Amino acid sequence: MMSDNQIIEGCTRHDRRCQQVLYDKYSRFLLGVCLRYSSDKAEAEDILQESFLKIFFNISDYSGTGSFTGWLRKVAVNTAITHYHKNLKHRYHVDIDEYVSVETGISSFEEDFFTSDELYMVLNELPAGYRMVFNLYAVEGYKHREIAEMLGVDTNTSKSQYSRAKAVIRDKLEILRKLRKNYSDND
Amino acid sequence: MELGKLFRDKLENAEIVPDPSINVRLMRRIARREFMTFNPASFNVYYLGTLLVAGITAAILLLPSKEAPVVFPDKVINEVTVPIPEKSDIEAGKTESLNTRSEPGITKHVSDKPEKIQENSRIPVNEQSEAESRPSRVDHKTLSAPVVKNDILTKESGSDKLVSSSKEAGSLFVSSVVDGCIPLKVRFICTAIDADTYRWTFGDGGVSYDKAPQWIFDVDGEYKVTLEVYSGDKLIGKSYELIKVYPRPVANFELSPEKAVIPDDEIRFINYSTEAVKYMWDFGDGTYSELFEPQHKYTQFDNYDVKLKVYNGFGCADSVIVQNAFAGSKYYIEFPNAFIPNSEGPTGGIYSSKSDEMAQIFHPSSSGVNEYHLKIFSKMGILIFESNDINIGWDGYFKGQLSNSGVYIWKVRGKYRNGEPFTKMGDVTLLRNQQ
Repeated sequence: MMSDNQIIEGCTRHDRRCQQVLYDKYSRFLLGVCLRYSSDKAEAEDILQESFLKIFFNISDYSGTGSFTGWLRKVAVNTAITHYHKNLKHRYHVDIDEYVSVETGISSFEEDFFTSDELYMVLNELPAGYRMVFNLYAVEGYKHREIAEMLGVDTNTSKSQYSRAKAVIRDKLEILRKLRKNYSDND
Repeated sequence: MELGKLFRDKLENAEIVPDPSINVRLMRRIARREFMTFNPASFNVYYLGTLLVAGITAAILLLPSKEAPVVFPDKVINEVTVPIPEKSDIEAGKTESLNTRSEPGITKHVSDKPEKIQENSRIPVNEQSEAESRPSRVDHKTLSAPVVKNDILTKESGSDKLVSSSKEAGSLFVSSVVDGCIPLKVRFICTAIDADTYRWTFGDGGVSYDKAPQWIFDVDGEYKVTLEVYSGDKLIGKSYELIKVYPRPVANFELSPEKAVIPDDEIRFINYSTEAVKYMWDFGDGTYSELFEPQHKYTQFDNYDVKLKVYNGFGCADSVIVQNAFAGSKYYIEFPNAFIPNSEGPTGGIYSSKSDEMAQIFHPSSSGVNEYHLKIFSKMGILIFESNDINIGWDGYFKGQLSNSGVYIWKVRGKYRNGEPFTKMGDVTLLRNQQ
């Protein structure tokens, strides 16, 4: 079992075996990250490949400070952002202002109620811009100022996209909850 | 629970299994990058292979050589006496000329340097177990303490010097070198006087019956070369020498970005060398680096050959050169092969995406063009149109009149931003609107 340090040292030398070990050890985790930023698994796998290329060819950028997993995740997130920018003009532009949020009156959710698959599904169905901002703010923990810089928008845009994203997400979760309730009621 | 926390808790460390084909594709991409990217126009894996073969052949021809910078042990031999144990009668593991070893002359020079015992002996050196009877010998066997010092890279050719492992009368042969980089060519010369038959074994399975054979060790390791001398049928002497053959590193690199454009791009050199500890880059423009993976910006466009020479801990080297590394340029200029001029009158040749929708102006698409001279000729060779401005194309008119439909010849000359010149020629068909 190779330690992270051995893996990193081998990958710096472009040793193919160490690269394979790195992939085996972290690809599932990193795909979990990429899937949050994608609309489907295929897109996530594209981002995953690009991320690994960046990891293998820029491994010397990891200075050893901070966790290795944290560095890997950052590379994947940055790759997702690059991917997002590249695809911006090809995307079907949904005018995000048109999303009408149904007031659910529910502002909190039971954690155990939703599976991770369902949460992924909700993210995959979001418009890309909402998905980016929601992930970066709520999951990654960046501030709106930082998100604005990463996405090339201004801080207010990030804030408003975040609140709209939350509204859409709540709607979708509420629908899921109702569906499940219906199923269990009918049992 | 707050929304963000819900997603964080469930998804922050979630794992999704990728499709196995992703792994395959990824590794294939990496392998392809390693071999195919030096210069797509003229470089491929065969060329690289040829270079490596040529390099190794050259190394063999030059051995014992300038190419194998093993000053280390030679230096040792010069400074001091005998690093290697004697040739002595080893039959019963006893020695008659044991006196050689305990001599004060045999200093333990190796103890100055950090010691690392060469474990790669191909042939088990049985005599090592006899060390008990000769304590001092063990120290001398610890050769190969490869600490790369700057001085080891100044090579001297030890080829003409014959080294005696022992100055004692007991030695039966001398060797041209006792260690070196692979492939190592060694000349052994028997110095025994009364012998008429010789039998050498080289430790790698090879045998010779010459008085002064030459042998090439092509696999790294430690070899015990033994000589038995006979007078008639009688064995009159036996001695041995230990030859250490060091491995070589492998030099290998690629440039990034793939189709680099100089002098604009900062070039990154990705180092795929193996078993190396010291790197010497020659960027071909008079500058050098000793970093593992340097970055370099060229100040002007030219055909540069990039060379990397690497050394391992034993001081052995390998090198690889990429000639004309930046010949492929991502600057380009291309012309369409037909266009349909606006039939309503000359427009002056300024084009836009609107006019392009209807292909009304003949003009190139390009990147990085700095100088531009376009001439258009009729089939009869009459100059119909000329432009030195890439933003002005041909609207299809000559002297105010719409030209006839048919084929015209265009010729363009110019330079890209990096100074690289271009000249192209082709034909274009002028189509008239059917009204």
